[in-house]
Amino acid sequence: MIDIIDLHLSLVGGAGPVNILRGVDLNVAPGETVSIVGPSGAGKTTLLMALAGLERATSGTVRVAGTSLAGMSEDGLARFRRERIGIVFQSFHLVATMTALENVALPLEFAGAADALERAKEALISTGLGQRLDHFPGELSGGEQQRVALARAFVAAPALLLADEPTGNLDRETGEHVMDLLFDLQQRHLTTMVLVTHDQALAARCHRIIRMTDGHLHELTDD
Amino acid sequence: MTEQSGGTLCKQALRLVRREMRGGFRGFGVFLTCLFLGVFAISGIGSFTASAREGLLAEAGSLLGGDLEISLHHREIDDQALNLLTALGQVSHVMTMRSMAADLTGERRQLVEVKAVDPAYPLYGSIAIEPTQPLQSVFITAEGPGALVERSLLERLELQLGDRIRLGESVFTLTGIIESEPDRTIRAFNLGPRLMVSHAGLAATGLVRPGSLTEHAYRLRLPDRETVEDVKAELQQSFPGAGWQLRTWREAAPRVRFFLDRLNLNLTLLGLCALLVGGLGVYGAVRGYLHGKIVNIATMKCLGAPTRLVFTAYLLQVLLLGAIGSGCGLLAGAAVPWLLVGLAGDRLPLPLAPALHGEVLLGAALFGLLTALAFSLKPLGTVRRVSPAILFRGYRHAAEQSPGPAVWAAIVLAALALAALALTISSDKRLALWFIGGATVCFGLFRLAAILTVALARRLPRPRHPALRLGLGNLHRRGSSAGNALFSLGLGLTTLVIVIAVQANLNDMVSENVPQQAPAFFLLDLQSHQVERFEALARSLPEVSRVERYPTLRGRIVAIAGRPVEQASIAPEVQWAVRGDRFLSYATQMPEKTEIVAGDWWPADYRGPARISLTADLARGFNVGIGDTLTVNILGRDITAEIASLREVDWSTLELNFAILFAPGTLEDAPQTHLASLHLPEHRQEEVFRVLTRAFPNISVISTREILRNVSRTLEKFGAAFRGMAGIALLSGFLVLGGAVSADQHRRINDAVIFKVCGATRWNILTAFAAEFLLIGLAAGLTSLLVGSLASAGIVKGLLHAPFRLHPGLIITTILLGIGLTLLLGLLGTWKALGQKPAAYLRNE
Repeated sequence: MIDIIDLHLSLVGGAGPVNILRGVDLNVAPGETVSIVGPSGAGKTTLLMALAGLERATSGTVRVAGTSLAGMSEDGLARFRRERIGIVFQSFHLVATMTALENVALPLEFAGAADALERAKEALISTGLGQRLDHFPGELSGGEQQRVALARAFVAAPALLLADEPTGNLDRETGEHVMDLLFDLQQRHLTTMVLVTHDQALAARCHRIIRMTDGHLHELTDD
Repeated sequence: MTEQSGGTLCKQALRLVRREMRGGFRGFGVFLTCLFLGVFAISGIGSFTASAREGLLAEAGSLLGGDLEISLHHREIDDQALNLLTALGQVSHVMTMRSMAADLTGERRQLVEVKAVDPAYPLYGSIAIEPTQPLQSVFITAEGPGALVERSLLERLELQLGDRIRLGESVFTLTGIIESEPDRTIRAFNLGPRLMVSHAGLAATGLVRPGSLTEHAYRLRLPDRETVEDVKAELQQSFPGAGWQLRTWREAAPRVRFFLDRLNLNLTLLGLCALLVGGLGVYGAVRGYLHGKIVNIATMKCLGAPTRLVFTAYLLQVLLLGAIGSGCGLLAGAAVPWLLVGLAGDRLPLPLAPALHGEVLLGAALFGLLTALAFSLKPLGTVRRVSPAILFRGYRHAAEQSPGPAVWAAIVLAALALAALALTISSDKRLALWFIGGATVCFGLFRLAAILTVALARRLPRPRHPALRLGLGNLHRRGSSAGNALFSLGLGLTTLVIVIAVQANLNDMVSENVPQQAPAFFLLDLQSHQVERFEALARSLPEVSRVERYPTLRGRIVAIAGRPVEQASIAPEVQWAVRGDRFLSYATQMPEKTEIVAGDWWPADYRGPARISLTADLARGFNVGIGDTLTVNILGRDITAEIASLREVDWSTLELNFAILFAPGTLEDAPQTHLASLHLPEHRQEEVFRVLTRAFPNISVISTREILRNVSRTLEKFGAAFRGMAGIALLSGFLVLGGAVSADQHRRINDAVIFKVCGATRWNILTAFAAEFLLIGLAAGLTSLLVGSLASAGIVKGLLHAPFRLHPGLIITTILLGIGLTLLLGLLGTWKALGQKPAAYLRNE
């Protein structure tokens, strides 16, 4: 599902270019779950963004589901995301002025699905938010907001789910509930998943744990 | 904890304001520009008209031609009066009339405004002649009498200085060009170019006969002009029934001043429209600014800041910024007269005396500050109620709270103060009340339209197209700026639609649509002995379909139902009828196409006491009916006549008719001339003009088409001023829209990034935003179409009493332009959102 070869990624900051990813190689099989751990600033989120096509590689190859992201236009990448990739963020990134239902329906609406709202409703019911369809993000608790984000990420049945610290803004108990839901959805859809986390226990729930330090990946466990 | 004293509160509030203002005017661009534009418009027009009034007063002597003017029609004053005038000061006699001038071949003829002057002319100021020469030397040449002309007469008759022209029975050598006349101001509705001759020269033409349409003005220069009121009183006392019109230098150029008053009032009201539209910009800017301060305010409240302190601090900040915006507008507005004098100088049609006019500037400043206050109180009231609890939530509660009853009361008070100010500065209270009512209804209608649009967007079936669905969704989403944008753009567009529609209707009246039945020519000054020959000739001309003729005299209404006009209550729309002399006539038969709405037409053989038939609009305006009397001064004699019938006259047909028609038996023996009209097709007009003017050199032939073209040109000039003012209102509307888009930019960027993460292409996002702006533009456009058309119909039919015609092409073009610009402005404002790289944004969040 994921095939990364010698990925380098530099960002230009105020003090000049910063090499964030320095020759990353990664291979993830379909249906596999991989957690990436490591200190802050190691390049974990950048790797996720490169996988989502939100950052472009400086050099190297990134292939997702057999497609190389290198030559794709910005709009081509957007189309690719809505068909193949779901993303969950630490700070949820819901549209504040849209209801839970509208937020979840977004990827389907962009894909032109006529039954976007119906499918979004089902997705929300499956995450236990059937009573919160018309609530706005500001009216939901943190855990509920992340469940809406999960429903949105899974609604288009993506082949790959990228999750960036999905429990980072939640208390332990809520975080655990959210992660149970995440793995449950992953199992149901047989989605390949890459999870960035600081939580060792959470990381341990994945098939593989990979540590990132200083822009390099080191395999820790191979289940 | 004890309540803070007012002084402590203010001190703390000022300290907060100082800290808040460290960031400069960031976020207040639209706020300041809207206030600047509105206050500039009001103070600019106010300063211009005040300076023009001052200028008129400063040059009143030369404009009037003396310190006192005695004017009368058809006749000169008698020797006794002239002797008294000569004893009082220096006298100058000026006589004016209209006639036809022709080149010596008789091929080219032109209606001219003849002015005969004596050696004392002008008593004040000087006449500019090209080539420069003393005035009296131009009237006598070796070949005979000389004349001065306006340049346009030379052009029209294809003549040069030194050539000769025929006027009546005389031939004049053209000795100079009049560059400026001291006693002539705005040349708006003159029927022809000026031709200036001496009294002796005019007498020799044979044009002045009993009943000729001549006007005599005797100007008096006093040793001390401040005694003018005493002299006026003395003359009125000495010659009580003389039928003169007396005007002092303080009353010079009454038509110009009346015109200035109307111009000032109408343009000020339009300027106020711009300011009210700009008020929405103030609202949007303050709301946007305070929205960005919510976390700060919540933090301050958490730290113990009382609500009053928060409210006072931000209110002071708004007032300070309001004073800065209004102040800049005042400065620019006050500079307008100086700027005009600097740029146009002598080419200005009015004398301007640039000065700072405190009253005008105070009014405009108050308008600015009250607008800033009225439109910022709601967001200020809302934000003061922000709960510190929002600090503990990831998202702010998007629904706004009510500002509370005290703030609502303050908003109403500020709005009432604005209305009271508009009423105070207006010379026409009725129009001001209409404006206030209209503006209130407009605001109400647009508020309703905004609510309906949002509600409709919510209830409409979800479109299949995702972009359209998102665009539609954005209209009714919480925190959407659609209502505000629709409001501001709609009000601006409505103002423009009203101005354009009213002007188009005025143009209809005078230009394109010369009524089918309108006569081609009006002929003035036909002498009684010429009537028979004229009618025979006119009827013998091929394709002349109708010839109408009425004997005419000029008279002034001096009393209405026994009350002198000065004491009578007269509606503004018929004030024109008592402002000077009017044409009168008498008739045995009722004129064609006349509808009697009250009373009866007199029998053909009626020979009893004086009776008149009055038009119904005058009767309404004078508040008189059948059996009441009007007293008319004709050639110095007061004639009181009973109103026997009321007629409804459609003046727009331009058919020959009179507001006052006497019954037979009263006016037949008075000196009179005849007014005639001729109906014929356009292709024959030139030839008939030549035949008639050659056969009757003394009569003045006025082409209907020519008059209407002249009026149309004048309307076009003033229309530009009105369109300019409406343009400011629309510009304010766009600024407000721009401000609304800009205030929304953070949300749009956030939305665009999330959309991209969810798989939206740039085209998806662009079309979604475009759909949103298109829908706002459409809703604003349709509402403006409706409100603007209704308002302009009200103005044209209700205030101008003219038929209203919708100009769909013109209005739709205006609306489409508005929608196009909305779309462009909206998309320009969201361009940043479209180009935002999601990774960089997400990293910084």
